[in-house]
Amino acid sequence: MSVIPQALRERPRADIERVATVFVLGWAVAFMLWQGTGFTVTLMTVFAIWAILAVSLNLVVGFTGLLSVGHIGFFGIGAYTMAILASDASYDQLRTEAIPTPGWPFFAALPIAVALTALVAIGVGIVFNRFRDDIFVLVSFGFAIIAFSFFLNLREITRGAFGIHEIPRPAFGGWVLDGEVEFLVFALVCLGLVVLLCWLIVTSSFGRVLTAIREDEEAIAVFGYQVTHFKLAVWVLSAMMAGLAGALFASWTSFIDPNSFILLESMLLIAIVILGGLATIWGSLLGAMAFVLLEEGMRFLPFLPAEFVGQARQVVLGVLLVLLMLFRPQGLVGRYRL
Amino acid sequence: MKVPWRALLPLGLALLLFPLALACGDDDSDEPFRIGVMESATGPGETYGTVAIQAKELAVEEINAAGGINGRMIELVVEDSKCSAQDAITAYNKLTDVDGVKIILGTSCSGAMLGAAPLAEKDGVVMFSGLATNPDIAQAGDYIFRTSLNDAQLGVDTGNLLWEDGVRKLATISESTDYAEGVRRTTAEQFEELGGEIVGEERYASDATDFRTSLTKLFSENPDALHIAAQAEFAGGTIVKQARELGYEGPIYSEIVVVGATALEIAGDAATGLKAVITDIDPANEKGQEVLASFREKYDYVTLPWYLASAYDTVYITAACLEETNDDQDADGFRDCLYAITWSGGIGDNYSFDERGEVVGLANVVVEVLPVSERNEDNNGYKVLGPAPIK
Repeated sequence: MSVIPQALRERPRADIERVATVFVLGWAVAFMLWQGTGFTVTLMTVFAIWAILAVSLNLVVGFTGLLSVGHIGFFGIGAYTMAILASDASYDQLRTEAIPTPGWPFFAALPIAVALTALVAIGVGIVFNRFRDDIFVLVSFGFAIIAFSFFLNLREITRGAFGIHEIPRPAFGGWVLDGEVEFLVFALVCLGLVVLLCWLIVTSSFGRVLTAIREDEEAIAVFGYQVTHFKLAVWVLSAMMAGLAGALFASWTSFIDPNSFILLESMLLIAIVILGGLATIWGSLLGAMAFVLLEEGMRFLPFLPAEFVGQARQVVLGVLLVLLMLFRPQGLVGRYRL
Repeated sequence: MKVPWRALLPLGLALLLFPLALACGDDDSDEPFRIGVMESATGPGETYGTVAIQAKELAVEEINAAGGINGRMIELVVEDSKCSAQDAITAYNKLTDVDGVKIILGTSCSGAMLGAAPLAEKDGVVMFSGLATNPDIAQAGDYIFRTSLNDAQLGVDTGNLLWEDGVRKLATISESTDYAEGVRRTTAEQFEELGGEIVGEERYASDATDFRTSLTKLFSENPDALHIAAQAEFAGGTIVKQARELGYEGPIYSEIVVVGATALEIAGDAATGLKAVITDIDPANEKGQEVLASFREKYDYVTLPWYLASAYDTVYITAACLEETNDDQDADGFRDCLYAITWSGGIGDNYSFDERGEVVGLANVVVEVLPVSERNEDNNGYKVLGPAPIK
């Protein structure tokens, strides 16, 4: 048993977390001052969407200990539901796949998008509850592949590889959020609500049971907790948040195709969660911010031939993530390793 | 290992501020014209994107070496749109907000183009692509132009060719991408309109490597011909090879991807006699041959010759319009110039743009793949049979 007081033992870790926080936030401010507000608004919107995904995935991966790589599937279901219901594009004059476009308002399609994601999550979750650990990773991998296949091959509904365009922005009465700043504010409000909900979950007795499930599922079951119910509940809540992020994404980009929902995006999402730290909401926000700054900040590397800049960005990003995992495997402000 | 985090903090801040210092350069009054370039330097369209970037840089080098435009040089600001709508939007916003460009050459991927086009249309920024082929782009807006022929035309031409060659029962195999699916769909539609019958349809995912099951199923329907619509050369070449290995001796029809250098190398002699409807540089077009020779000299290879020359032409057309407007911020003037211009360049003579920004005056050609012994760098492995038939 250690004779060092608890407060002293925790101090270096707290210092590192503070440094990481100051570093990422300082970086964000420096970037904003450097690049001006226009591009920063774009990056902040990307951050808001990825942060919703990261925070919601952390509920499942970090707090409950279920390593899911299928989150991108729920993101895609939310996005496609929004696109199909809200798009008012006309494909009649084109010799491509034509689908009906009801042209619903954003706020009419949004609850359907979130509810449909929840329904799919319930169905999938009931099956996935039978699996744990490595097998769970594999089946969630399968879910991501199946979801992508649906987006690509259900051509009568999704237009397959052609994608769906003219997806509208949110509108309050006659006020359409078609400005980038207005949309960013809306996305940040959604992020705020998601963070608040997650905070309420993880600080409640429900959240403490989730943490106990991560530490020892059998032990918590011995105390009479219906582990499968808790796992299913957090799985569905997390999926609904991903569905919300998908709906926001579709509205922001105004065009989606299956390429936005490939397995690689799920891997990037896992990387963001680990980068920020498992089982910490603040870590997921920090991880998403650091990731966006890393990826987009490297657009400004000034000394490379133009045709190699894209590849160089990916190499540098990969190396930085590997270095981080080597020297800080629990992430920027995390307390647990994967 | 104990990491000196405190010591690393100033170092990190210094690294962050380094680009700030770089950004504070001298203010040159004789500024170049700044033109944005958005291509898929990474992602699924990397082959097309890299060639397009290189072709544009070659054209800019030539223009600048010849004295520039009205005494001013051209400067390209290149961004990676990764063949995705989201990355196209961030690349677009970086180009317009940070670099302040109003004219963007690109993109090579239709998905990226369709992602950024609504923003360009709203902001009044011209997007001018040499490679995007999705038919949806025709409706993308007033500021959206392209020199590439859309997939629908390619499909119509292929349907006509099949019918003219006496094919009445057709089997199709296509990759599940917007390009390949678009080609398959319009080919089948045109073929059926003429009276033909589609006896089998198979699709494959982009990472598939074994097509024997699909091909066996298709051949069991005894088609008069097989049509392949592929996005990746590897898959296109492999399908041809495996079709012949399964004993299929009938004609095979396809498009540009399956007569690419990699596809023909994979298919070997199995591709001999394959017919394809493609956009190709006319051997008699001196400018086109010059472009290919210059590209080969600079980069020591040539691939996707028509697309390469198309990207190259977009720069020269841009130069011609900048000479007229003399302002890289005048997107409206540039747009009006594009509507009015008639151009002769690497991809053809006397082509122009219609009211939807679609190129007119260019046509597809029919080519036939030569035996391996006759394939070389000059003929790209095929001979041109003539223009695509019109019905």
